Amino acid sequence: MKTRIKEFRARYDLTQEDLARKVGVRRETILFIEKGKYNPSLKLAYDIAQALNTTIDELFIFNENK
Amino acid sequence: MKDKIGIVVGIGIAVLVLVTLYFYVQNIGNLELEEIISIIIVIILVALVLYILWDRIKNIKRGLPAQDERLKITNYKACYYGFIASIWSAVLSPLVSGIFFDYELEGHYVTAIVVLCGGLAFMISYLYLAWQGK
Repeated sequence: MKTRIKEFRARYDLTQEDLARKVGVRRETILFIEKGKYNPSLKLAYDIAQALNTTIDELFIFNENK
Repeated sequence: MKDKIGIVVGIGIAVLVLVTLYFYVQNIGNLELEEIISIIIVIILVALVLYILWDRIKNIKRGLPAQDERLKITNYKACYYGFIASIWSAVLSPLVSGIFFDYELEGHYVTAIVVLCGGLAFMISYLYLAWQGK
């Protein structure tokens, strides 16, 4: 699954650590979500979307072929 | 608060293991190869535990949680691998010892092997999965 978290972070000038602090996870978790290595729970995806003032479907690009 | 209690308990247990190991080495006399290997494995396990605790302390100091949903899943997966390693080591260690070395393992050796194999499998898989983000 691809994400646009990096793009949205840059828009709000947030580091991975800042975002991690906002949503209450470790920095590595944000890193792995950005890399597409970890699929977050629905609650975490919602929290990240809220922290970046967007919606889940704007933030996460689900690839049906994979 | 819960995280801090976990860290304090973890450090306490690691210190107790090291103290026990110290008295064991002091009183055992001559160390044989299997005892040296067991001691080295225990020291490696304690070192890995201390590394994990240090990592959690570092995160708490930065205002981040010691454990989040990803690490909880990692923990469950590592527990599963540790459990499988324990079961297989309990089955295989007496068999391997009997077939290849013609030596019947005593119960306490099998227990030690099961604990060490399970612990080692847990630690290695935990660190691997945590680093890989899987």
